[in-house]
Amino acid sequence: MKDFGGNVWGKCGFILGFLLLCASFAHAQEKAKTLVSAASTNKFVGSVACKGCHAEMWNNFYKNPHNKSVVSGKEAPENTGCEGCHGPGNNHIESFGAAGSIVSFTKMPKEQVIDTCVKCHSQTLSRANIRRSSHTLNGIVCTNCHSVHSAATPTKLLAKTQTTLCEGCHLNVRAQFSMPFKHRVNEGFMNCTDCHNPHGSFQPTWANGARPRHVETAKANEEPCMNCHADKRGPFVFEHAPMRVDGCMACHVPHGSANSRMLTRPVVFTLCLECHNGAGNMGRRGDGVHVQRPTPHNMASPVYQGCPNCHVKIHGSNTEQKFFR
Amino acid sequence: MSKLTLSVYFSFAASVALAQPPVAPSPTPAGSAEGQDTGLYNIVNSSELGYRFHTVGGSLNQYRSTVNYGNGIRLLSGSTLVTSKDGHGKLFDQISLTTLGLGNDPYESTSLRIERNRTYRYDMTWRQNDYFNPGLVSNGGVSFHTADTTYGMQDHNFTLFPQSKYKFFMGYTGSAQQGPAYTTENGRPGIQLVDVRRRWNEYRIGNEFQIAGIRVNWMRGWEDFKEDNGFNRAPGGVPGFPQTANATLLALTKADPYHGTNPYWRVAIFDTLGKTFNWNGRFTYTAGRRAFVLDESFLTAAGNATTTTRVINTGDAQRPVATGNLNLVFTPTSKLNISNGTALYNSRTQGNDTFVQVSPGAPTRIVTYNYLGVRTLSNDTTLNYQWTKMVGMFATYHYSDRYIASREVTDNALIPAQQTDILNATQFGFRLRPVQALTVQLSGEVGRSNRPFTPVAPRNYNAINGRIQYRVKSFQVLATTNTDYNNNSVNIASYASHSRRYAADGSWNPRSWFSLDAGYSKMHLDTSGGIAYRVSPPAGTLITGERSLYFSNLHTIYSGIRFTVKDRIEIYAGLTRVEDKGDGRATAAGPAIGSPRAIFEVVQTYPLTFQSPVGRVSVKINNKLRWNAGYQYYGYRQEFNLNPNLNYQANTGYTSLSYSF
Repeated sequence: MKDFGGNVWGKCGFILGFLLLCASFAHAQEKAKTLVSAASTNKFVGSVACKGCHAEMWNNFYKNPHNKSVVSGKEAPENTGCEGCHGPGNNHIESFGAAGSIVSFTKMPKEQVIDTCVKCHSQTLSRANIRRSSHTLNGIVCTNCHSVHSAATPTKLLAKTQTTLCEGCHLNVRAQFSMPFKHRVNEGFMNCTDCHNPHGSFQPTWANGARPRHVETAKANEEPCMNCHADKRGPFVFEHAPMRVDGCMACHVPHGSANSRMLTRPVVFTLCLECHNGAGNMGRRGDGVHVQRPTPHNMASPVYQGCPNCHVKIHGSNTEQKFFR
Repeated sequence: MSKLTLSVYFSFAASVALAQPPVAPSPTPAGSAEGQDTGLYNIVNSSELGYRFHTVGGSLNQYRSTVNYGNGIRLLSGSTLVTSKDGHGKLFDQISLTTLGLGNDPYESTSLRIERNRTYRYDMTWRQNDYFNPGLVSNGGVSFHTADTTYGMQDHNFTLFPQSKYKFFMGYTGSAQQGPAYTTENGRPGIQLVDVRRRWNEYRIGNEFQIAGIRVNWMRGWEDFKEDNGFNRAPGGVPGFPQTANATLLALTKADPYHGTNPYWRVAIFDTLGKTFNWNGRFTYTAGRRAFVLDESFLTAAGNATTTTRVINTGDAQRPVATGNLNLVFTPTSKLNISNGTALYNSRTQGNDTFVQVSPGAPTRIVTYNYLGVRTLSNDTTLNYQWTKMVGMFATYHYSDRYIASREVTDNALIPAQQTDILNATQFGFRLRPVQALTVQLSGEVGRSNRPFTPVAPRNYNAINGRIQYRVKSFQVLATTNTDYNNNSVNIASYASHSRRYAADGSWNPRSWFSLDAGYSKMHLDTSGGIAYRVSPPAGTLITGERSLYFSNLHTIYSGIRFTVKDRIEIYAGLTRVEDKGDGRATAAGPAIGSPRAIFEVVQTYPLTFQSPVGRVSVKINNKLRWNAGYQYYGYRQEFNLNPNLNYQANTGYTSLSYSF
């Protein structure tokens, strides 16, 4: 197998070094901007000052994870409590709550919502791709799913339950979870985030790295299916190559299907035969995916229509090239 | 028609269109979430204890496979939140515990979070699934693989100094599957009873720190997997199974342990704080390894003679996997966003298998070596431009180069092979927002792959996606459309698939005591793939030049209506109905297209109906207590109703008390 040569690694190292330099420079610039912004005319007054008018919100704020910034006592004013998100409150108080005197998330441009939230929430690897996620690029920002002051969930401050939020926009997925054979998401046993990262994910490592998006890799570099279906992971001496190359979706519909075992076809033999037809330069040898051997196959017999009846270890086998055991 | 009649009719029409999750647990808490103060802590609690019941007519196996709710008392749901009022608790500042279905529901789960501000955070999830697989095969097929197992999974994560620039992580994840199953193996004339015993454990430690404004996150993990299934020969043979006519399995002894480990490293560096330039990178390396032994002895009878066969397989498999990601995001102005992502995946699966047949006859020994290497380098660049507040657009170009190398030993000959697949894909789309409440999105994608791996993989494909959303405060309408066409034609056989999906959804919440939600989705799929297969007599005849066709027209409707009477009685009614109308044929035997063989014609389409109306009533007894009752029907019906009959009708319900403070 051809691998990258040392010269390429050298170039990669140079590029990485250059990027690190750029990033450090960009970070220093952003930090300087933040400091300039904090020194503007409006002043920080502390969260307690907000209590007078927003008593109900304040009285329950100790249950809110954002209260950590208040009780910490070590955060800078621009990162603390109410003003950590809504900005300095002095003008708001002096103008008796006039419109426009305080940062309002409902009127904020979407890109500014992300800037405000990642000011603190950038420190998590799971949000490392939020700037390039397709949610962000399509104008779906933090406040579309999260509600800081009226959350429906005790952790993560979601505005509604996770399934309701996701299915509210992804209508086809909602329909797929209504199928007779599906992963138990509506039942509450699983969550969308067991497989997906709504904040953006690294590119998938299976198939051609193109699709699907927002799918989180599991076990360092596997499809998320392997989080639960650990017995399908291997390594096996004899891998069913499409599973390694194209991934589980070569045969399965992951959300839900009208077909048993969430297969893409109602019967398994059509699923197998549509690949095992010897066509073109497909397959690992490039001479077509192999057709059935002359014996004992007989597609007229119901026994042979259930291919995994004999090819038991269809996901991969240690002892049999044809996945017999 | 009077206004009242019309409104009742409208409500009924909506309610007969759909419903979503299972009828229980009830979504309405008994009381407010203010909680009770106890010392320095506030406690909010909500729990629902109830009794589930069900009756099933028709295929109980199919019901257990798809729904599986049984009878009995359950803690249907529970939620407890303990919070320190001053944020300086001695041992903890917050405990959050949620449970679902405890007490023998088929889907049980618990999640727990305990944290002390600035010091530590502990997260735990536990799930248990009663997995029942009756070996169902749609459209009259036969399967000898069944399972009645329990799958349990637990995940523990401990973070030290969660609010610090220097965090430390420790974690454990474990899963176990156990229970009885039937299987066949190696084409032998019999099925085996398997005592499934699978266990996977992962231990990990890690750290995150910041240096020069860049966050570095690393993790080291060790995964162990073991499978020690126990085998016994099950009584009875399998009619029609290979070799049945020639031999009968009399006895079987088998040991098949399979153990291995996947130690891994993951290092990530990222910077998302910058408004003009962000980047992140990630590198992972996993050194996967499995070792196995198979020691098998079986006694077969053919005529008056008996034969004892004993085989031993030993060997191991390795799969080192290295991945790398580098993503750059450049936002020079608030209107323009340019991102570029590069991903590298490199895996090498290789292993040896030594097969020794000890008896009958002189021992034979075959050593097999197998290698499969995959290296994918992909890169995509996306340009996103928000021209005005009303108009935005984006374009993406994706390139990937996938190299696959293979070395197989087949019939004592080493067969090396290699191939490269290059994918070029572009995507373009725009967003319109003519008024604040209206959003329109439209995008298209075209891709060309020069050498896909399988005949059904994307080769020449195009996709069109559209979305229109109108949203005001209490009313929302959303409609989407997606088409995916793929043509993977080669000189011997061709494959084409056409997928079209349309969906619309509307929700209306005019008052706190009334809400309505309704939607419809249609998913069309038609595929045509070249096939080659064997039939007899005469034995082994290869049939080529035929096509396997598949038509699916799935219609899904769902609706729900909820209203509250005098803030005391809440009523919910809804329905979900899935209907695959197939290609419109009235009987399983199809028109003479594709393969003329009957077995292919009857599986070209698979019409079915799956519906589930639901109703629930919840009555507030006092500020802390509610009584709930609900009913949900499940009906599954295959229109062609082939043998085995998998249709069922299930009546499920529950009654419960919700208590909260």
